[in-house]
Amino acid sequence: MEMIADKLSIVQSLWPFLIKGLWVTFQISMISILFGSLIGFTLGIGKTLGNVVLEKCINAYLHILRGSPYLVQLYIIYFVLPSLGIAWLSFDSYTAAIVSLSLYTSSYVTEIVASAIFAVPNGQSEAARSVGMSKTQTYRNVIIPQALKLTIPPMASVYVIVIKSTAVLSVIGIAELTRQGEVAIMRMPGDIMFIYLLIAFFYFLYCYPVLRFSKWAEGRFGQLGNDLH
Amino acid sequence: MDWLQNYFNFRIVGNYADVFIAGVGQTLWISALCLFLALIIGTFVALARMSSNPLIWRPVAAYIQFIRSTPLLIQIYLVYYGLPSLLPRGYGDFFDETQTGIIALTIHTAPYMGEIIRAGIESVNRGQIEGALSVGMTPRQTLMNVTLPQALANVMPPLLGQTAVLIKDTSLLSIIAVFELMGAGLQMFSETVIATESYVTTAVCYLGIYALMLVLSGMAQNKLGGNAWKAN
Repeated sequence: MEMIADKLSIVQSLWPFLIKGLWVTFQISMISILFGSLIGFTLGIGKTLGNVVLEKCINAYLHILRGSPYLVQLYIIYFVLPSLGIAWLSFDSYTAAIVSLSLYTSSYVTEIVASAIFAVPNGQSEAARSVGMSKTQTYRNVIIPQALKLTIPPMASVYVIVIKSTAVLSVIGIAELTRQGEVAIMRMPGDIMFIYLLIAFFYFLYCYPVLRFSKWAEGRFGQLGNDLH
Repeated sequence: MDWLQNYFNFRIVGNYADVFIAGVGQTLWISALCLFLALIIGTFVALARMSSNPLIWRPVAAYIQFIRSTPLLIQIYLVYYGLPSLLPRGYGDFFDETQTGIIALTIHTAPYMGEIIRAGIESVNRGQIEGALSVGMTPRQTLMNVTLPQALANVMPPLLGQTAVLIKDTSLLSIIAVFELMGAGLQMFSETVIATESYVTTAVCYLGIYALMLVLSGMAQNKLGGNAWKAN
Protein backbone atom coordinates (compact mmCIF):
# COMPACT_ATOMS: atom_id res chain seq x y z
CA MET A 1 0.00 0.00 0.00
CA GLU A 2 2.78 2.34 0.99
CA MET A 3 4.48 1.79 -2.35
CA ILE A 4 1.36 2.76 -4.26
CA ALA A 5 0.94 5.91 -2.14
CA ASP A 6 4.61 6.69 -2.76
CA LYS A 7 4.23 6.33 -6.54
CA LEU A 8 1.03 8.36 -6.48
CA SER A 9 2.81 11.23 -4.77
CA ILE A 10 5.50 11.11 -7.47
CA VAL A 11 2.82 11.26 -10.16
CA GLN A 12 1.18 14.15 -8.35
CA SER A 13 4.36 16.21 -8.10
CA LEU A 14 5.41 15.47 -11.70
CA TRP A 15 2.00 15.93 -13.29
CA PRO A 16 2.28 19.65 -14.16
CA PHE A 17 5.73 19.20 -15.75
CA LEU A 18 4.72 16.18 -17.78
CA ILE A 19 1.58 17.93 -19.01
CA LYS A 20 3.71 20.91 -19.99
CA GLY A 21 6.08 18.55 -21.82
CA LEU A 22 3.19 16.83 -23.57
CA TRP A 23 1.90 20.23 -24.68
CA VAL A 24 5.28 21.11 -26.22
CA THR A 25 5.40 17.68 -27.91
CA PHE A 26 1.90 18.31 -29.27
CA GLN A 27 2.80 21.79 -30.52
CA ILE A 28 6.00 20.76 -32.27
CA SER A 29 4.49 17.66 -33.82
CA MET A 30 1.46 19.64 -35.06
CA ILE A 31 3.51 22.46 -36.60
CA SER A 32 5.94 19.98 -38.15
CA ILE A 33 3.29 17.81 -39.71
CA LEU A 34 1.61 20.94 -41.09
CA PHE A 35 4.75 22.30 -42.75
CA GLY A 36 5.92 18.82 -43.67
CA SER A 37 2.61 18.11 -45.38
CA LEU A 38 2.76 21.39 -47.31
CA ILE A 39 6.27 20.64 -48.59
CA GLY A 40 5.45 16.99 -49.17
CA PHE A 41 2.23 17.78 -51.00
CA THR A 42 4.00 20.18 -53.36
CA LEU A 43 6.88 17.77 -54.04
CA GLY A 44 4.50 14.82 -54.33
CA ILE A 45 2.55 16.57 -57.08
CA GLY A 46 5.82 17.64 -58.68
CA LYS A 47 6.89 14.02 -58.82
CA THR A 48 3.82 13.02 -60.85
CA LEU A 49 4.02 15.78 -63.48
CA GLY A 50 6.20 13.67 -65.77
CA ASN A 51 9.15 16.06 -65.84
CA VAL A 52 12.21 13.79 -65.65
CA VAL A 53 14.65 16.40 -64.30
CA LEU A 54 12.24 17.52 -61.59
CA GLU A 55 11.54 13.90 -60.65
CA LYS A 56 15.26 13.13 -60.34
CA CYS A 57 15.80 16.18 -58.12
CA ILE A 58 12.90 15.20 -55.86
CA ASN A 59 14.16 11.62 -55.68
CA ALA A 60 17.61 12.84 -54.64
CA TYR A 61 15.99 14.95 -51.90
CA LEU A 62 14.02 11.93 -50.72
CA HIS A 63 17.06 9.66 -50.72
CA ILE A 64 19.09 12.13 -48.67
CA LEU A 65 16.32 12.46 -46.07
CA ARG A 66 15.50 8.75 -46.07
CA GLY A 67 19.10 7.59 -46.05
CA SER A 68 20.35 9.40 -42.96
CA PRO A 69 19.07 9.09 -39.40
CA TYR A 70 16.91 11.87 -38.01
CA LEU A 71 19.43 12.45 -35.22
CA VAL A 72 22.13 13.30 -37.78
CA GLN A 73 19.79 15.62 -39.66
CA LEU A 74 18.94 17.40 -36.42
CA TYR A 75 22.63 17.83 -35.57
CA ILE A 76 23.39 19.16 -39.04
CA ILE A 77 20.57 21.69 -38.92
CA TYR A 78 21.29 22.76 -35.34
CA PHE A 79 25.11 22.69 -35.26
CA VAL A 80 26.36 22.82 -38.86
CA LEU A 81 24.11 25.43 -40.49
CA PRO A 82 25.04 28.23 -38.02
CA SER A 83 28.73 27.69 -38.81
CA LEU A 84 28.07 28.60 -42.45
CA GLY A 85 27.82 32.22 -41.27
CA ILE A 86 24.49 32.99 -42.93
CA ALA A 87 22.41 34.93 -40.41
CA TRP A 88 18.97 33.50 -41.13
CA LEU A 89 20.26 29.92 -41.02
CA SER A 90 21.37 30.28 -37.38
CA PHE A 91 18.31 28.72 -35.83
CA ASP A 92 17.55 28.62 -32.16
CA SER A 93 16.79 25.14 -30.84
CA TYR A 94 13.02 25.46 -31.24
CA THR A 95 13.22 26.58 -34.88
CA ALA A 96 15.88 23.98 -35.65
CA ALA A 97 13.60 21.31 -34.22
CA ILE A 98 10.64 22.40 -36.34
CA VAL A 99 12.68 22.86 -39.53
CA SER A 100 14.39 19.47 -39.25
CA LEU A 101 11.22 17.64 -38.31
CA SER A 102 9.27 19.31 -41.14
CA LEU A 103 11.88 18.28 -43.70
CA TYR A 104 11.95 14.76 -42.27
CA THR A 105 8.14 14.54 -42.41
CA SER A 106 8.05 15.91 -45.96
CA SER A 107 10.06 12.92 -47.19
CA TYR A 108 7.32 10.55 -46.05
CA VAL A 109 4.47 12.77 -47.24
CA THR A 110 6.00 13.16 -50.72
CA GLU A 111 6.05 9.39 -51.23
CA ILE A 112 2.50 9.04 -49.95
CA VAL A 113 1.04 11.83 -52.09
CA ALA A 114 2.89 10.65 -55.20
CA SER A 115 1.76 7.06 -54.82
CA ALA A 116 -1.81 8.17 -54.04
CA ILE A 117 -1.89 10.20 -57.25
CA PHE A 118 -0.52 7.22 -59.20
CA ALA A 119 -3.19 5.04 -57.60
CA VAL A 120 -6.00 7.06 -59.20
CA PRO A 121 -6.94 5.11 -62.33
CA ASN A 122 -5.66 6.54 -65.61
CA GLY A 123 -9.16 6.54 -67.05
CA GLN A 124 -10.11 9.31 -64.63
CA SER A 125 -7.60 11.82 -65.99
CA GLU A 126 -8.14 10.65 -69.58
CA ALA A 127 -11.88 11.22 -69.21
CA ALA A 128 -11.33 14.62 -67.63
CA ARG A 129 -8.96 15.63 -70.44
CA SER A 130 -11.33 14.38 -73.12
CA VAL A 131 -14.25 16.44 -71.84
CA GLY A 132 -12.02 19.49 -72.36
CA MET A 133 -10.52 20.13 -68.91
CA SER A 134 -7.06 21.65 -68.84
CA LYS A 135 -4.24 19.80 -67.09
CA THR A 136 -4.55 22.08 -64.04
CA GLN A 137 -8.31 21.59 -63.89
CA THR A 138 -7.87 17.82 -64.14
CA TYR A 139 -5.49 17.85 -61.21
CA ARG A 140 -7.59 20.23 -59.12
CA ASN A 141 -11.03 18.78 -59.71
CA VAL A 142 -10.51 15.12 -60.56
CA ILE A 143 -7.21 13.61 -59.44
CA ILE A 144 -6.36 15.37 -56.18
CA PRO A 145 -9.80 14.97 -54.53
CA GLN A 146 -9.64 11.23 -55.16
CA ALA A 147 -5.99 10.96 -54.16
CA LEU A 148 -6.41 12.90 -50.92
CA LYS A 149 -8.85 10.33 -49.61
CA LEU A 150 -6.24 7.61 -50.10
CA THR A 151 -3.59 9.58 -48.19
CA ILE A 152 -5.58 9.67 -44.92
CA PRO A 153 -4.58 6.26 -43.45
CA PRO A 154 -0.82 6.52 -44.20
CA MET A 155 -0.78 10.16 -43.07
CA ALA A 156 -2.00 9.05 -39.65
CA SER A 157 0.90 6.61 -39.37
CA VAL A 158 3.30 9.35 -40.45
CA TYR A 159 1.88 11.51 -37.68
CA VAL A 160 2.75 8.77 -35.19
CA ILE A 161 6.29 8.67 -36.60
CA VAL A 162 6.53 12.44 -36.10
CA ILE A 163 5.31 12.22 -32.50
CA LYS A 164 7.83 9.49 -31.76
CA SER A 165 10.61 11.45 -33.45
CA THR A 166 10.03 14.44 -31.16
CA ALA A 167 11.55 12.37 -28.33
CA VAL A 168 14.91 12.77 -30.06
CA LEU A 169 14.60 16.55 -29.68
CA SER A 170 15.44 16.14 -26.00
CA VAL A 171 19.12 15.94 -27.01
CA ILE A 172 19.13 19.58 -28.13
CA GLY A 173 17.34 20.65 -24.95
CA ILE A 174 13.76 21.18 -26.14
CA ALA A 175 11.55 20.90 -23.05
CA GLU A 176 9.25 18.25 -24.51
CA LEU A 177 7.94 15.16 -22.78
CA THR A 178 11.18 13.14 -22.74
CA ARG A 179 13.25 16.13 -21.62
CA GLN A 180 10.78 16.92 -18.82
CA GLY A 181 11.14 13.32 -17.69
CA GLU A 182 14.93 13.60 -17.68
CA VAL A 183 14.69 16.79 -15.61
CA ALA A 184 12.34 15.00 -13.22
CA ILE A 185 14.87 12.17 -12.91
CA MET A 186 17.54 14.65 -11.90
CA ARG A 187 15.24 15.68 -9.06
CA MET A 188 14.26 12.13 -8.07
CA PRO A 189 17.07 9.83 -9.17
CA GLY A 190 15.62 6.89 -7.23
CA ASP A 191 12.63 6.43 -9.53
CA ILE A 192 14.20 6.28 -12.99
CA MET A 193 12.22 3.27 -14.17
CA PHE A 194 8.91 4.53 -12.85
CA ILE A 195 9.34 7.95 -14.47
CA TYR A 196 10.34 6.47 -17.83
CA LEU A 197 7.38 4.10 -17.69
CA LEU A 198 5.16 7.08 -16.93
CA ILE A 199 6.53 8.93 -19.97
CA ALA A 200 6.08 5.82 -22.12
CA PHE A 201 2.47 5.70 -20.92
CA PHE A 202 1.96 9.36 -21.93
CA TYR A 203 3.34 8.66 -25.41
CA PHE A 204 1.15 5.57 -25.61
CA LEU A 205 -1.96 7.60 -24.73
CA TYR A 206 -1.07 10.03 -27.50
CA CYS A 207 -0.04 7.62 -30.25
CA TYR A 208 -2.33 4.64 -29.77
CA PRO A 209 -5.58 6.43 -30.76
CA VAL A 210 -3.88 7.78 -33.90
CA LEU A 211 -2.73 4.27 -34.83
CA ARG A 212 -6.24 2.95 -34.25
CA PHE A 213 -7.61 5.74 -36.43
CA SER A 214 -5.14 4.79 -39.16
CA LYS A 215 -6.31 1.18 -39.02
CA TRP A 216 -9.95 2.26 -39.12
CA ALA A 217 -9.31 4.68 -41.97
CA GLU A 218 -7.68 1.88 -43.95
CA GLY A 219 -10.95 0.02 -43.91
CA ARG A 220 -12.95 3.18 -44.58
CA PHE A 221 -10.91 4.86 -47.33
CA GLY A 222 -8.96 1.93 -48.73
CA GLN A 223 -5.35 0.92 -48.59
CA LEU A 224 -2.76 2.54 -50.80
CA GLY A 225 -1.70 0.01 -53.43
CA ASN A 226 -0.70 -3.38 -52.09
CA ASP A 227 1.94 -1.92 -49.85
CA LEU A 228 2.30 -4.23 -46.88
CA HIS A 229 3.50 -1.59 -44.43
CA MET B 1 41.65 22.50 -53.65
CA ASP B 2 42.50 25.16 -51.09
CA TRP B 3 39.22 27.01 -51.57
CA LEU B 4 37.42 23.82 -50.49
CA GLN B 5 39.27 23.80 -47.17
CA ASN B 6 37.42 26.96 -46.15
CA TYR B 7 34.16 25.07 -46.32
CA PHE B 8 35.13 21.48 -45.60
CA ASN B 9 38.46 20.63 -44.04
CA PHE B 10 38.99 17.18 -45.51
CA ARG B 11 42.49 16.92 -43.99
CA ILE B 12 41.03 16.74 -40.48
CA VAL B 13 38.48 14.22 -41.70
CA GLY B 14 41.42 12.22 -43.07
CA ASN B 15 42.91 12.13 -39.58
CA TYR B 16 39.70 10.60 -38.30
CA ALA B 17 39.26 8.15 -41.17
CA ASP B 18 40.01 5.12 -39.00
CA VAL B 19 37.50 6.25 -36.37
CA PHE B 20 34.79 6.55 -39.00
CA ILE B 21 35.71 3.21 -40.58
CA ALA B 22 35.47 1.60 -37.15
CA GLY B 23 32.12 3.38 -36.66
CA VAL B 24 30.74 2.10 -39.96
CA GLY B 25 31.90 -1.40 -39.09
CA GLN B 26 30.30 -1.22 -35.68
CA THR B 27 27.02 0.13 -37.11
CA LEU B 28 26.88 -2.63 -39.73
CA TRP B 29 27.75 -5.29 -37.20
CA ILE B 30 25.17 -4.11 -34.65
CA SER B 31 22.48 -3.82 -37.35
CA ALA B 32 23.26 -7.26 -38.75
CA LEU B 33 23.05 -8.90 -35.33
CA CYS B 34 19.83 -7.04 -34.49
CA LEU B 35 18.34 -7.98 -37.87
CA PHE B 36 19.17 -11.64 -37.33
CA LEU B 37 17.72 -11.71 -33.80
CA ALA B 38 14.69 -9.60 -34.77
CA LEU B 39 13.85 -11.91 -37.68
CA ILE B 40 13.89 -14.97 -35.40
CA ILE B 41 11.91 -13.31 -32.61
CA GLY B 42 9.70 -11.63 -35.22
CA THR B 43 8.77 -15.02 -36.68
CA PHE B 44 7.68 -16.18 -33.22
CA VAL B 45 5.81 -12.89 -32.70
CA ALA B 46 4.02 -13.41 -36.00
CA LEU B 47 3.09 -17.02 -35.17
CA ALA B 48 1.95 -16.07 -31.67
CA ARG B 49 -0.06 -13.15 -33.04
CA MET B 50 -1.85 -15.52 -35.45
CA SER B 51 -2.63 -18.03 -32.70
CA SER B 52 -6.29 -18.56 -31.86
CA ASN B 53 -5.57 -18.85 -28.14
CA PRO B 54 -6.33 -15.45 -26.52
CA LEU B 55 -3.81 -16.19 -23.75
CA ILE B 56 -1.11 -16.18 -26.42
CA TRP B 57 -2.16 -13.56 -28.95
CA ARG B 58 -3.42 -10.89 -26.52
CA PRO B 59 -0.11 -10.35 -24.67
CA VAL B 60 1.76 -10.39 -27.97
CA ALA B 61 -0.66 -7.87 -29.47
CA ALA B 62 -0.17 -5.65 -26.41
CA TYR B 63 3.61 -5.92 -26.83
CA ILE B 64 3.32 -4.94 -30.51
CA GLN B 65 1.06 -1.98 -29.69
CA PHE B 66 3.33 -0.78 -26.89
CA ILE B 67 6.41 -0.83 -29.11
CA ARG B 68 4.61 0.85 -31.98
CA SER B 69 3.19 3.68 -29.87
CA THR B 70 6.24 4.68 -27.82
CA PRO B 71 9.46 6.30 -29.06
CA LEU B 72 12.56 4.16 -29.51
CA LEU B 73 14.52 6.54 -27.29
CA ILE B 74 12.24 5.79 -24.32
CA GLN B 75 12.50 2.06 -25.02
CA ILE B 76 16.30 2.32 -25.06
CA TYR B 77 16.22 4.16 -21.71
CA LEU B 78 13.83 1.57 -20.25
CA VAL B 79 16.13 -1.28 -21.26
CA TYR B 80 19.26 0.60 -20.25
CA TYR B 81 18.02 1.40 -16.75
CA GLY B 82 15.63 -1.52 -16.32
CA LEU B 83 17.72 -4.46 -17.52
CA PRO B 84 20.31 -4.40 -14.68
CA SER B 85 17.55 -4.60 -12.05
CA LEU B 86 16.03 -7.64 -13.80
CA LEU B 87 19.30 -9.56 -13.63
CA PRO B 88 20.19 -11.53 -10.51
CA ARG B 89 21.98 -9.64 -7.76
CA GLY B 90 25.66 -9.14 -8.49
CA TYR B 91 25.21 -9.52 -12.23
CA GLY B 92 23.83 -6.00 -12.74
CA ASP B 93 26.62 -5.04 -15.14
CA PHE B 94 26.56 -8.36 -17.00
CA PHE B 95 25.77 -6.65 -20.32
CA ASP B 96 27.90 -3.72 -21.48
CA GLU B 97 26.41 -0.72 -23.32
CA THR B 98 26.72 -2.29 -26.75
CA GLN B 99 24.98 -5.49 -25.70
CA THR B 100 22.28 -3.50 -23.90
CA GLY B 101 21.81 -1.44 -27.06
CA ILE B 102 21.52 -4.57 -29.19
CA ILE B 103 18.92 -5.99 -26.80
CA ALA B 104 16.92 -2.74 -26.87
CA LEU B 105 17.01 -2.50 -30.67
CA THR B 106 16.02 -6.14 -31.03
CA ILE B 107 13.07 -5.66 -28.70
CA HIS B 108 12.12 -2.60 -30.74
CA THR B 109 12.50 -4.18 -34.20
CA ALA B 110 11.02 -7.65 -33.55
CA PRO B 111 7.33 -6.53 -33.58
CA TYR B 112 7.79 -4.59 -36.82
CA MET B 113 9.42 -7.62 -38.41
CA GLY B 114 6.69 -9.80 -36.89
CA GLU B 115 3.93 -7.73 -38.49
CA ILE B 116 5.68 -7.87 -41.86
CA ILE B 117 6.20 -11.64 -41.58
CA ARG B 118 2.57 -12.07 -40.57
CA ALA B 119 1.45 -10.18 -43.66
CA GLY B 120 3.76 -12.47 -45.63
CA ILE B 121 2.34 -15.65 -44.13
CA GLU B 122 -1.18 -14.42 -44.80
CA SER B 123 -0.23 -13.70 -48.41
CA VAL B 124 0.72 -17.34 -49.05
CA ASN B 125 -1.97 -19.14 -50.97
CA ARG B 126 -4.11 -21.33 -48.73
CA GLY B 127 -3.85 -24.17 -51.24
CA GLN B 128 -0.09 -24.34 -50.79
CA ILE B 129 -0.47 -25.12 -47.09
CA GLU B 130 -3.33 -27.57 -47.68
CA GLY B 131 -1.30 -29.26 -50.39
CA ALA B 132 1.74 -29.62 -48.15
CA LEU B 133 -0.35 -31.01 -45.32
CA SER B 134 -2.15 -33.44 -47.60
CA VAL B 135 1.08 -34.95 -48.94
CA GLY B 136 1.87 -35.86 -45.32
CA MET B 137 4.09 -32.99 -44.14
CA THR B 138 3.84 -32.16 -40.46
CA PRO B 139 2.65 -28.61 -39.61
CA ARG B 140 6.22 -27.76 -38.66
CA GLN B 141 7.62 -29.02 -41.97
CA THR B 142 4.90 -27.14 -43.82
CA LEU B 143 5.85 -23.92 -42.04
CA MET B 144 9.58 -24.29 -42.55
CA ASN B 145 9.58 -25.64 -46.11
CA VAL B 146 6.47 -24.22 -47.73
CA THR B 147 4.96 -21.24 -45.90
CA LEU B 148 7.94 -19.25 -44.63
CA PRO B 149 10.08 -19.33 -47.81
CA GLN B 150 7.19 -18.02 -49.89
CA ALA B 151 6.18 -15.54 -47.18
CA LEU B 152 9.68 -14.06 -46.97
CA ALA B 153 9.97 -13.77 -50.75
CA ASN B 154 6.61 -11.97 -50.85
CA VAL B 155 7.49 -9.40 -48.18
CA MET B 156 11.09 -8.75 -49.22
CA PRO B 157 10.49 -5.03 -50.05
CA PRO B 158 9.04 -4.04 -46.64
CA LEU B 159 11.63 -6.23 -44.88
CA LEU B 160 14.42 -4.36 -46.63
CA GLY B 161 12.72 -1.06 -45.81
CA GLN B 162 12.55 -2.02 -42.16
CA THR B 163 16.21 -3.04 -42.29
CA ALA B 164 17.08 0.43 -43.57
CA VAL B 165 15.09 1.90 -40.65
CA LEU B 166 16.98 -0.41 -38.27
CA ILE B 167 20.35 0.81 -39.58
CA LYS B 168 19.25 4.41 -39.05
CA ASP B 169 17.89 3.59 -35.59
CA THR B 170 21.29 2.38 -34.41
CA SER B 171 22.29 6.08 -34.37
CA LEU B 172 20.14 6.54 -31.25
CA LEU B 173 22.37 4.09 -29.37
CA SER B 174 25.02 6.82 -29.28
CA ILE B 175 22.88 8.43 -26.56
CA ILE B 176 23.64 5.53 -24.20
CA ALA B 177 27.36 5.77 -25.10
CA VAL B 178 27.52 2.89 -27.58
CA PHE B 179 30.30 3.44 -30.09
CA GLU B 180 28.98 3.33 -33.67
CA LEU B 181 28.89 5.67 -36.64
CA MET B 182 27.07 8.47 -34.80
CA GLY B 183 29.40 7.88 -31.86
CA ALA B 184 32.36 8.34 -34.21
CA GLY B 185 30.92 11.69 -35.32
CA LEU B 186 30.35 12.75 -31.71
CA GLN B 187 33.87 11.68 -30.77
CA MET B 188 35.36 13.75 -33.58
CA PHE B 189 33.20 16.73 -32.58
CA SER B 190 34.19 16.52 -28.92
CA GLU B 191 37.90 16.37 -29.81
CA THR B 192 38.05 18.94 -32.60
CA VAL B 193 34.92 21.10 -31.94
CA ILE B 194 34.27 21.52 -35.65
CA ALA B 195 30.65 20.66 -36.29
CA THR B 196 30.57 20.75 -40.09
CA GLU B 197 33.22 18.12 -40.76
CA SER B 198 32.11 15.85 -37.92
CA TYR B 199 28.42 15.67 -38.70
CA VAL B 200 28.54 15.99 -42.48
CA THR B 201 31.01 13.09 -42.61
CA THR B 202 28.69 11.06 -40.41
CA ALA B 203 25.77 11.82 -42.70
CA VAL B 204 27.80 10.90 -45.78
CA CYS B 205 28.75 7.57 -44.21
CA TYR B 206 25.10 6.81 -43.46
CA LEU B 207 24.14 7.74 -47.01
CA GLY B 208 26.87 5.38 -48.25
CA ILE B 209 25.40 2.51 -46.24
CA TYR B 210 21.94 3.42 -47.55
CA ALA B 211 23.22 3.44 -51.15
CA LEU B 212 24.74 0.01 -50.58
CA MET B 213 21.37 -1.17 -49.26
CA LEU B 214 19.64 0.13 -52.41
CA VAL B 215 22.11 -1.75 -54.63
CA LEU B 216 21.70 -4.96 -52.62
CA SER B 217 17.92 -4.72 -52.67
CA GLY B 218 18.07 -4.24 -56.43
CA MET B 219 20.05 -7.46 -56.66
CA ALA B 220 17.60 -9.24 -54.37
CA GLN B 221 14.79 -8.02 -56.59
CA ASN B 222 16.38 -9.57 -59.67
CA LYS B 223 17.14 -12.81 -57.87
CA LEU B 224 13.91 -13.45 -56.00
CA GLY B 225 11.28 -11.83 -58.18
CA GLY B 226 8.46 -12.59 -55.73
CA ASN B 227 4.89 -11.37 -56.20
CA ALA B 228 5.38 -8.14 -54.30
CA TRP B 229 8.11 -6.95 -56.65
CA LYS B 230 5.95 -7.32 -59.73
CA ALA B 231 3.24 -5.14 -58.22
CA ASN B 232 5.62 -2.22 -57.75
